[in-house]
Amino acid sequence: MSGPLILGIETSCDETGVAVVEGSTVRSSVLASQTDLHARFGGVVPEVAARAHVEALRPLVHRALTTAGVHSDQLDAVAATQGPGLAGALMVGFSFGKALAWSLEKPFLGIDHMEGHLFAPLLDHGAYAPPAVVLLASGGHSQIVHVHDWGRYELMGATIDDAAGEAFDKLARFMGLGFPGGPAIDRASDGGDPTAVRFPRALPDRPYDFSFSGLKTSVVTFLEKAKAEKSVPPLADVAASLQEAIVDVLVTKTFNAVEAAEVTTVAGGGGVLANRRLRARLQEEADRRGVALYLPSPALCTDNGAMIASAGTFRLGRGDVASWPADVNPALRLA
Amino acid sequence: MKILAIETSTPASSVALGEDDTLVAMSVHVDRRGHVEFLASAIDFCFARAGWKPSDLELVAVDVGPGPYTGLRAGIATAQGIAAAVGVPIVTVGSLTALALRAATGRRRIWPVIDVRRGQVAVASYRPLPGGVVADTSPEIVTPEEFAAMLAAEPEDSLLVGEWHVLPEGLMRGLHRVKTGRPRYPSADVLLEIAALRAANDDFAGAEEIRPLYLREPDAAINWTDFREEGVWPGAPS
Ligand SMILES: [Zn+2]
Repeated sequence: MSGPLILGIETSCDETGVAVVEGSTVRSSVLASQTDLHARFGGVVPEVAARAHVEALRPLVHRALTTAGVHSDQLDAVAATQGPGLAGALMVGFSFGKALAWSLEKPFLGIDHMEGHLFAPLLDHGAYAPPAVVLLASGGHSQIVHVHDWGRYELMGATIDDAAGEAFDKLARFMGLGFPGGPAIDRASDGGDPTAVRFPRALPDRPYDFSFSGLKTSVVTFLEKAKAEKSVPPLADVAASLQEAIVDVLVTKTFNAVEAAEVTTVAGGGGVLANRRLRARLQEEADRRGVALYLPSPALCTDNGAMIASAGTFRLGRGDVASWPADVNPALRLA
Repeated sequence: MKILAIETSTPASSVALGEDDTLVAMSVHVDRRGHVEFLASAIDFCFARAGWKPSDLELVAVDVGPGPYTGLRAGIATAQGIAAAVGVPIVTVGSLTALALRAATGRRRIWPVIDVRRGQVAVASYRPLPGGVVADTSPEIVTPEEFAAMLAAEPEDSLLVGEWHVLPEGLMRGLHRVKTGRPRYPSADVLLEIAALRAANDDFAGAEEIRPLYLREPDAAINWTDFREEGVWPGAPS
């Protein structure tokens, strides 16, 4: 238990997350998930998200401090997500965090959401260190990052259309499985045969990039055709098969990158990394190659305040303190 | 009583510090998208000017609209962050009231106008009284044509203030009882006056009031055909 006491605020998308972190120890991490609010739309509605952040933030900050047993005066800094994300949503947490830091006369840290995901494994595995290849996959992003050193990142690959989590959401919506799609398909695939239907794996000739919009089309086409022919396979088989297609691509491209970057450490972050099949397949592949795998617990894979505070610890150490005029940057790029 | 007022319901953001009803420091900046950039630096500047520390603060006043939600949320989140850290109450003020109060000089009925974009304006009507105004109607969002019809039906002499400049030219043609005037934007120093009054009456905002005045439902259109609705896998959860 060492390191500065940092309050982290995350409001880039549909989770309001607040946490108090001390080094690699999570003193508290609280979340107000908006899943139910967005469920009826089958996706995240930016205006709905921004409204919910305004409601949730103040009570969550209070709860995070109380749970951690920390008085706000004891904080060494306040960190908030600066981008990338939904502008209106980012603005709520960023403005609140900045005002909090200003009032406490403490440094304010503007954090790249993606860097937050890179730092999340540190909270569960204090020893994780660069160089590493990190797979970041969620409803909003899918990329492979080569972490040369903390603060020195290289984007090796990214999705050229939908994010992996977006593909899960759209497919789950289509199949009537609800929102968010990742956990719904994960559950629906229980006992299913992942080889029942062979859905296409896109972009075989681009080793580190993803494409998921074609999969969506092929699942829809397959199901419409099967329905016309009255031969729709069991839901568990379809769910397991399309999940396998997404997982296959994520695992293959990640380890292509591991090989090319010549690293022996691989990590992951983002909501899609909570998927049980993906975690198992990454572990199998890491073991087979003798590579160390660091996956945060599922709660730290999805967006949360602790990862923002964790990246904040690093930024504070580097003296990367935000100035009062700092603004959000919805299109912030890690590398 | 040391009060901080935050105003972000229009392109003109402003921050003001007041000791009871005396203005101590103020900063104004007109930029449609610049609320986040402006607020903390303006507050920092005003406190330095006034020689105050954050912990000196006793009350925060914030405009909750109507107005474009993005700016309002930046102001409200800032007010909440400061109030939470210092442990002081919040007073909320409406943008149309702030406009009407500043315009209250004559005997005309006052119609403040705020541009809420997408071709609509927020309006309400106020009657001037000695030392203040009283609201005749609640804020509503209307099209310029609807607003012109409201004014045409108004038997009294009226004064439009606020962002009436955004109304289409010629809309007021024939409305001889209607005059236009200033101010164009609500400003934080007016919030100070209202806040001092509210505080004297212990009229602080509850948590459920510290949010933008939402007069419009969120746009939410994510359309996807639903395979299950067609009767395949009826066991799947919806
Ligand atoms: Zn994320």
